[in-house]
Amino acid sequence: MSANFAERLAELPQYLSAHVVLSMCALLAGIVLSIPLGIQAARRPRLAAATLNAASVIQTIPGLALLALMVPLLGGRIGFLPAFIALMLYSVLPILRNTIVGLQGIEPQIREAARGIGLTDRQRLWQIELPLALPVIVAGLRTATVWVVGAATLATPVGATSLGNYIFAGLQTRNWLSVLFGCVFAAGLAIVLDQAIRLLEIAARDRRRGLAIGVGVFLAVLVAASIAPRFMTPGQAGAVAAGESPGAAQGIAGQTVTIGSKAFTEQYILGALMQRRLEEAGARVVRRDNLGSTIAFDALRSGEIDVYIDYTGTIWATVMNRSEPAGRYRMFTEMSAWLWAEHGILTLGRLGFENAYGFAVSREFAEAQGVDSLEDLSAIAAELTVGGDPEVFARSEWTATRDVYGLGPARTRSMDNTFLYSAARDGQVDVITAYTTDGRIAAFDLTVLDDPRGVLPPYDAVILVSPQAARRPGLAAVLGPLVGAIDDDAMREANRRVDLDGDTPAGAAAWLGERIAEQ
Amino acid sequence: MIDPARPVLDIRAVCKTYPGGVEAVRRVSLQVARGELLALAGESGCGKTTVLKMINRLEDASGGSIFYEGEDIAGRDPVALRREIGWVMQGDGLFPHLTVRENVAIIPRLLGWTAGEISNRVIEMLELVQLPVNAYGDRYPAELSGGQRQRVGFARALAGRPDLLLMDEPFSALDPITRDSLQQEFRSLQAELGFSAVMVTHDMAEALIMADRIAVMADGEIVQHGTPSDLLANPASDYVSGLLETPRRQMRAIRELGA
Ligand SMILES: Nc1ncnc2c1ncn2[C@@H]1O[C@H](COP(=O)(O)OP(=O)(O)OP(=O)(O)O)[C@@H](O)[C@H]1O
Ligand SMILES: [Mg+2]
Repeated sequence: MSANFAERLAELPQYLSAHVVLSMCALLAGIVLSIPLGIQAARRPRLAAATLNAASVIQTIPGLALLALMVPLLGGRIGFLPAFIALMLYSVLPILRNTIVGLQGIEPQIREAARGIGLTDRQRLWQIELPLALPVIVAGLRTATVWVVGAATLATPVGATSLGNYIFAGLQTRNWLSVLFGCVFAAGLAIVLDQAIRLLEIAARDRRRGLAIGVGVFLAVLVAASIAPRFMTPGQAGAVAAGESPGAAQGIAGQTVTIGSKAFTEQYILGALMQRRLEEAGARVVRRDNLGSTIAFDALRSGEIDVYIDYTGTIWATVMNRSEPAGRYRMFTEMSAWLWAEHGILTLGRLGFENAYGFAVSREFAEAQGVDSLEDLSAIAAELTVGGDPEVFARSEWTATRDVYGLGPARTRSMDNTFLYSAARDGQVDVITAYTTDGRIAAFDLTVLDDPRGVLPPYDAVILVSPQAARRPGLAAVLGPLVGAIDDDAMREANRRVDLDGDTPAGAAAWLGERIAEQ
Repeated sequence: MIDPARPVLDIRAVCKTYPGGVEAVRRVSLQVARGELLALAGESGCGKTTVLKMINRLEDASGGSIFYEGEDIAGRDPVALRREIGWVMQGDGLFPHLTVRENVAIIPRLLGWTAGEISNRVIEMLELVQLPVNAYGDRYPAELSGGQRQRVGFARALAGRPDLLLMDEPFSALDPITRDSLQQEFRSLQAELGFSAVMVTHDMAEALIMADRIAVMADGEIVQHGTPSDLLANPASDYVSGLLETPRRQMRAIRELGA
């Protein structure tokens, strides 16, 4: 517990500073965009209606979706930029709306007095209208601050570091202390910034210069402290280009490699495993953890990341948009050829294990109902509740299984992958969609049901390398030995160590690395 | 350069048609002599405020011309013109986020006076309207009575030493006792500082008591124009007699009570 605490504490400077920079940049840009727009719109009712409608529409898009949408809109870019743009758009509505409302709420008499005694348009705006509208504008700014600081925790899946890294990683590895860290510091930061703005308003209203300077200095120190570490680590941008120069083609030493991973335990472990090998070969490694499933692929295609692990069935269905079933070998070869021809992406090979979707039930349920294959479920389909992660019910794995095995009458419930396995163990749902390598299948005494009609596609784990990185032979040389080196049992055991024994992904990767070396 | 014999303000046949097509003012001509108080009276909607707003170009005339200190205002920068002409509106129009001191200082500040000049002028003006700066200077408008606010309104309008003061129903929001004392104070202020003034009013009694001359408007036109005694002696129409009837009746009633 205390080791866990120390580890989380060690991550704090990085996550908190990234969160501060991301949310403050987004807010600042939101202010710069919204207040001038609001000033213009306050005088033009039609512009006001149009801009407010547009901002309201943006606001109704859930934060996570808005963030994720930015990635394809920016041509597969991940990291700071898509998160920044999405959060900035998020901050627009409250600031814009309150600027318009605040300015329109000023008594016409006061406006006329200002004109009548000879203030120019600019003087009226700065000396009369903005000061009078300030309390309303500041209220909007405070709302925006709380929203943006909160929504910035959702920036993790698009590859931007934030306090959300605590939350996403914590949820996936069932590390509740990590989740708590993310929540507490995000809420604390929101409160601190909100109060800083409140004090700035008081300083402006009562003209307390000392207070304004004090808060200003505090905010400047906060930002400076958050930005400073970025300038102290050498830039990474040039490293990729350097890797393409012919002189560096011999090996990977001294080059920077960016490893992506999706947001679940197995991906963290494999990311850490690749990191170990690359660092042993002298490369510098940058990790982009917790990427959304399709975001990881987009980032690889655009070269934002150099390498990550995906699964044949996922690429087949969601990237290639193929719905027909295919055998393990055919799927792998067609996928590799397609990725290379279409995107120049190199498939280094299969790791050796499969992380398929399967349908699992508790042993008690299996014995009581006498089921051991999907075929046995159709008779009791009407009484079944099937739990699945949020994406599975939209995928062909579920629709095909449902149609072939007659599960149409069953009820479905979506929940986060974190809670699925215990829900099946505790009988809250009867059947779950499970990842076949998950350590909890064995630990919770669950049974994966047979698929006699071969509906469920294969999900062989594969190493994918970006088009740019594919031209760096050193990378293939270092990661090549992982091909065929990890079987189902090894992966399940590594996952179990993290999920149930509380080991870190890096620890599990070290164990896996040793096991590979012994083979 | 200022010729004392020339009218401060010379309005020649101005008209105003609002964008909606309302003919608010039709061929109005008026002159205001130096040091004089001209009252614009008439029923609601007859165009009084519109005439006033054309003088400092809050509205631009659709026809005719207006000369201020001998110069056609159409050729002047509206902002500079407004800073030379005092403006007092109904219900004070003070800026609620500025203190009394800052409200009064605003025009001298816009005119680019030095800090010393501004602060002296503020003290002087607040003395004149009987709100000593020590007691009132740092209050906000919300911390004053209606009468006190209106006084600050006068101080603000006069702080830049205007030759002409425009007032739109300056006393109408006050209770009768405050109104009466402020009316008296205003006349002595005008005698002391020597500015000219145009005052829009609903209240015929107020016009009779305060003004040197009264212009009565109806439906965008001037229907009679003269001194208070001219008007009382020879009302030009039933409309003017009607306007005079209210103060007359009140006077009679009071006299009978005294008898
Ligand atoms: N901005 C405007 N646009 C269109 N019409 C206007 C505008 N301002 C005033 N009017 C119209 O012009 C006419 C004269 O208005 P004005 O305000 O000058 O009257 P007033 O004599 O001051 O009335 P009151 O004694 O009620 O203040 C009215 O019919 C009014 O409806
Ligand atoms: Mg009026």
